[in-house]
Amino acid sequence: MADLGEDQVAEIVVDTGVDPAGVPIVSVSGELDSSNAASLEATVAPLAAEHPERLIFDLSALRFMDSAGIAVLVGVAAKVDSVKLREPSEAVRRVIQLTGLSGVLPVESSS
Amino acid sequence: MAGVAFLLGLAVTAAFALTSFVLYDHNEKHLLRLRARQVGSVLTATVPSIQSTLASAAELADATGGNAQKFRVFMAPYAGRGHQFASASLWPLHAAKPAPTVVVGTRPVLASLPKQAHSLFTRAEHSRLLNITGILGSAHPSLGFEFSTPGVKHRFAVYVENPLPKNRRSALAGNSAFSDLNYALYLGRSHSPKNLLVTSLHRFPIKGRHASNVVPFGDSAFTLVVTPNGPLGGTFFASLPWIVVIVGVLLSLAAAAMTDRLARRRQYAEQLTGVLDRVAAENHQLYTEQRGIAQTLQHALLPDALPDVGGLQVSAQYVPAASGVDVGGDWYDVVAVDDRRVLLVIGDVSGHGLQAATTMALLRHATLAYAAEQCHPATVLTKLSHFVNSSEHEYFATVLCALIDVDSHRLTIASAGHMAPLLIEGDDNRYLRLDANVPIGVERKSDYRETAFSVGPHSTLVAFTDGLVERRGEILDTGLARLREATGTRRLPLDEMVAMLIREVASEGHEDDTAIVVVQWQT
Repeated sequence: MADLGEDQVAEIVVDTGVDPAGVPIVSVSGELDSSNAASLEATVAPLAAEHPERLIFDLSALRFMDSAGIAVLVGVAAKVDSVKLREPSEAVRRVIQLTGLSGVLPVESSS
Repeated sequence: MAGVAFLLGLAVTAAFALTSFVLYDHNEKHLLRLRARQVGSVLTATVPSIQSTLASAAELADATGGNAQKFRVFMAPYAGRGHQFASASLWPLHAAKPAPTVVVGTRPVLASLPKQAHSLFTRAEHSRLLNITGILGSAHPSLGFEFSTPGVKHRFAVYVENPLPKNRRSALAGNSAFSDLNYALYLGRSHSPKNLLVTSLHRFPIKGRHASNVVPFGDSAFTLVVTPNGPLGGTFFASLPWIVVIVGVLLSLAAAAMTDRLARRRQYAEQLTGVLDRVAAENHQLYTEQRGIAQTLQHALLPDALPDVGGLQVSAQYVPAASGVDVGGDWYDVVAVDDRRVLLVIGDVSGHGLQAATTMALLRHATLAYAAEQCHPATVLTKLSHFVNSSEHEYFATVLCALIDVDSHRLTIASAGHMAPLLIEGDDNRYLRLDANVPIGVERKSDYRETAFSVGPHSTLVAFTDGLVERRGEILDTGLARLREATGTRRLPLDEMVAMLIREVASEGHEDDTAIVVVQWQT
């Protein structure tokens, strides 16, 4: 699980919003790894508790994700009935695929 | 430093003070010269007033044949007590023994000095100027002025005389235009003490700044010496050098104090830097120690020895992440299920730290327990998944479980979200196609499926964790291709191959910890 060490923190921007249908959307951009997964966790946990039915992760601007990042998504998927990923990059898509999590973290069907 | 600043300040101050003093001095000299000239002009201006009075009286005497009464009446406003002259007298010219015929005021000293009188009147016969006697007498020295209009028909000279003031000293009136000056007036063109007529000074010779001016007066001249009472240009300019000195010294002291303070601050900052350096060094040492502890723990959690099963060679390596003090979550195990079968397990617990290590240890020991029951890989994973539940912990584990049958060259593998191993079979090397089941801990009830493979002789299986192939900025397939390429070109002894893969495939910085296990059939 990728580790940049003490002094290096990968850059990540987390933004929350609501789509027209009222589904909360969490946009994550940058590089998500063990150095910043906790900050995403802190943002998402209360949101997941508030909306236990549906949640969308917009990963269109996420360039890299390691297993620590996946752990956060998986943790959310365990608490929320339906978690979908929006436009994950190829790198993110492959990590999810190779980890066997395509069923747990399905990609949103293009609308 | 402070001393240097102070001395520098003093040097600058001295330069300024000297400059202002030189300017002041120059200015004062110039002013004094101007004042001396002004006093000279005033003196010169008195000549016509004396001369015209004397000339008028001489004309009157000539016209009236030396009428005493008329002379007295004319001279009354000029001579006598409280008037311009102490004494005025009328003297017939061409007399063998000069003597006054009429005297107004006191008797002239000249009357008792026939030699001087003779000399004066002889001189006067040819002179058109106001004639001045020398200093007359010694007890009560006087100065006399004579005027006679030269010509044949003129027979009388008018003579006036004034005593010199007592001790020849006379101060100028306080309200005089020249009250800022002291002066000394000499008869003639030199200032020798015997020629001193009048002065406001008490001490001779004159010292300090003074200006002298020779003023023509009648047939003689006066020498005027003036010296200032105080600064002519005003007290401010006189005080300027001192003001500069005092302000300069104060500024120098302030500069010295400021420099001293700055020096102290710098010293303090340097001390602080030293302290910070020491803290940084201590931190580094602490970090190194903690990292050492973490690595020791990690290695303690990994198998001490790999099983020795005939016909199968095994090599494994764990490389911690290049930085960080946490225990990683990668682990591996190779255990002999029986004489001819080996169970290979490699896994990766998400996250770091003691909790990940605890989970890892738990999973490892559980796996070993299931292996002892001769469980199949899929069963091992299913049982493991009951152990970990992500609703309770925020991490999960990817696990690869492979049962290796040495003699039958069979391989049964199940993966819980773990990356498929690489199989090198002759000249062919490929990643095994496995069902990508969910990682352990994601879903409580998971069905894990296993896949069986028959492998050729001398095949090599390379199982690894993502640290070996994962790099920032590239998709996993690039790393996987890199690994495949590295194993495709060379045939190396197994231990060397493991070392080569870590060296050449893993990212240079070892961002993540990496585990790698390689097994090779000997037949």
